Amino acid sequence: MSGRILIVEDDERLADYIGQGLTEQNYTVDRAANGRDGLFLATGSEFDAVVLDRMLPGMDGMAVLKAMRAAGVATPVIMLSALGDTDHRVEGLTAGADDYLGKPFSFAELLARVQALQRRGAGGGQAQQSVLHCADLELDRLTRQVRRGGRRITMQPREFRLLEHLMMHAGEVVTRTMLLEAVWDYHFDPGTNVIDVHISRLRRKIDDGEAMPLLHTVRGAGYRLAAD
Amino acid sequence: MFRRLWSSTVARIVAAIFAVQILSGAATMLLLHSQMLQVIASDRGRQINDLRDDLLAAFYEGGHDGLVRYLGDAHGSVSDPLIFVAVTGKDAPALVHLAAVPEGVTTDRPHAVKVLQVAGGEPVDATAVRADLPDGTRLTVGALNAPDRQFSIAFAEAITLTVVLTALLALGGALMIGLVISRRTHAIAATAEALGSGNFAARIGNAERGDGFDHLRRQMNFMAERIDRLVGELQTVAGTLAHDLRSPVARLKAAIETAQHAAPEGPAAEALALARTDAEALEDMLGAALELVRLESGMVADRRQMLDLADIAADLAELYEPLAEQSGTALSCQTVPVRVLADRELLSRALANLIDNSLKYGGDAITVAVRRERDHAVLEVADNGAGIAEADRDRAVGRFIRLDNARTQPGAGLGLAMVAAVAALHGGTVELAEASGGESAGRGSGRSGLIVRMRLPLD
Repeated sequence: MSGRILIVEDDERLADYIGQGLTEQNYTVDRAANGRDGLFLATGSEFDAVVLDRMLPGMDGMAVLKAMRAAGVATPVIMLSALGDTDHRVEGLTAGADDYLGKPFSFAELLARVQALQRRGAGGGQAQQSVLHCADLELDRLTRQVRRGGRRITMQPREFRLLEHLMMHAGEVVTRTMLLEAVWDYHFDPGTNVIDVHISRLRRKIDDGEAMPLLHTVRGAGYRLAAD
Repeated sequence: MFRRLWSSTVARIVAAIFAVQILSGAATMLLLHSQMLQVIASDRGRQINDLRDDLLAAFYEGGHDGLVRYLGDAHGSVSDPLIFVAVTGKDAPALVHLAAVPEGVTTDRPHAVKVLQVAGGEPVDATAVRADLPDGTRLTVGALNAPDRQFSIAFAEAITLTVVLTALLALGGALMIGLVISRRTHAIAATAEALGSGNFAARIGNAERGDGFDHLRRQMNFMAERIDRLVGELQTVAGTLAHDLRSPVARLKAAIETAQHAAPEGPAAEALALARTDAEALEDMLGAALELVRLESGMVADRRQMLDLADIAADLAELYEPLAEQSGTALSCQTVPVRVLADRELLSRALANLIDNSLKYGGDAITVAVRRERDHAVLEVADNGAGIAEADRDRAVGRFIRLDNARTQPGAGLGLAMVAAVAALHGGTVELAEASGGESAGRGSGRSGLIVRMRLPLD
């Protein structure tokens, strides 16, 4: 994917790191080191997404976000904060942020979230359909049935939701944290490899005995459901 | 009930005040009684002496006949039926209000004697004095003590009334004092409770009285002020730490990732992988420590809602079940629906910590239980692992404490401290106990494991 991203971050090295990573992924990156410049850029030009630090000199991230939304700018915003807990997350999301990422984070996590936002902005993929497809894998959200080829797969309720989420984001990288948030509604890291084990169970159900595996592990990032 | 009431300090103070008031009232009355009796006795003595003097005067004026005439005319107090006079010696005795001449009456001053007023009657108490006349006549003058008894009866009635009134007033007064003490101490305790549960803005209301309570109130408020300021500083420090420490760690990790990208293979890549593991551990510890500071100081928004602990337990068990199965551990739930006012996220995080701990150190069976015990809800995680020695249990809940057998496992040593902080935020407690083999630990392997029990208040 490509696109134009605005990074508003006063920590120069962190901004470098994010900017460099995004550039490597073929994104065009604009940067602002304080809230005022960030707001000026965000309201003046078209961006695919804004990565906005919460604590900024001059005008803080929350104020920038509110001013952007007040000015009618609907660009998706990911808020970054050292205060990554639930309280601040909810506060950020109510103020109009589309996603919230606690520092420290891995670049893979940020990238996955930026891409998810871009897709959501582009029409949400299969989000509205009642039957989701990925290659010969089929998930019916109404009858709650899952089939691979002609084979019917029985699913526990949580496995169903896990697969549903992966299929809604087919082709995208979905991180462990994103899965925990979307499928379990937990905003903490339960540690060890709790999610990995759920994924390997799911993988056994849908990929075992198939010529083409669909559920891929993306090293250092998360998982991706795709036909390649 | 009575014993419990008696163990209350206020009840004892009330009882003491009551007893002191009753005793002092009774003592006053008794003193008054004896004083009055003395006054009456000395009055009677004077009356008897006066009469004797009058009779002596009659004798010196008119001789023995004059004396008898005086008595016959019933002058002055001679007519008083309580007064008696006996003239004996010469001729026939003259008796006024008497049946027999009393024995043992002396001449110096009035004495207590028994007299017979009516022949064949009962002798009654009286006071009498004697005078020996020059012609050999013996004059005895006295008065009955009857008024004393009447007075005593009247006084006893007065005392009874006084005691009843005093008792009522004393009880009322004592109860009022008790109520005042109780109310003032409760006001102080309520504020202390609010402070204890994290409301550092709580203060005891103003009441300038300059007494011990006021002193206590001022000191409590002073203490609260100090706590408030320290927590405020802590909050600032926590925020600063978060920003100042987490950012460099994030950059460190970012730099390692960049380097890993540049050197995907070889010895450098191995070293970088190790560095990354450490950086991530540092990041986790820092995050956990900051989180703990936040929780312990009550710096969290109130996001509590009525929820069922059984649901929380079931969700977490479901999350961990595949991991438990993979490590050969049986993870089961024994729950009943118990609704409490709680923060789902925080409680889930605490429970995740406990399950994670049990998976790391806890043998092959873990039971998550939810039940109701009298006035609180119990949420516990029991395992059949090595457990924690009783001596170490209190320490285990402390910060950065990693017991010896845990050194080899990764972790920040903040898990149980975090659980305790979450419980405290909900007004609850955490205790560690020994799981006796088989009872809670499920499979009954014979080993005793660890139970971590959170108690949360029911509403």
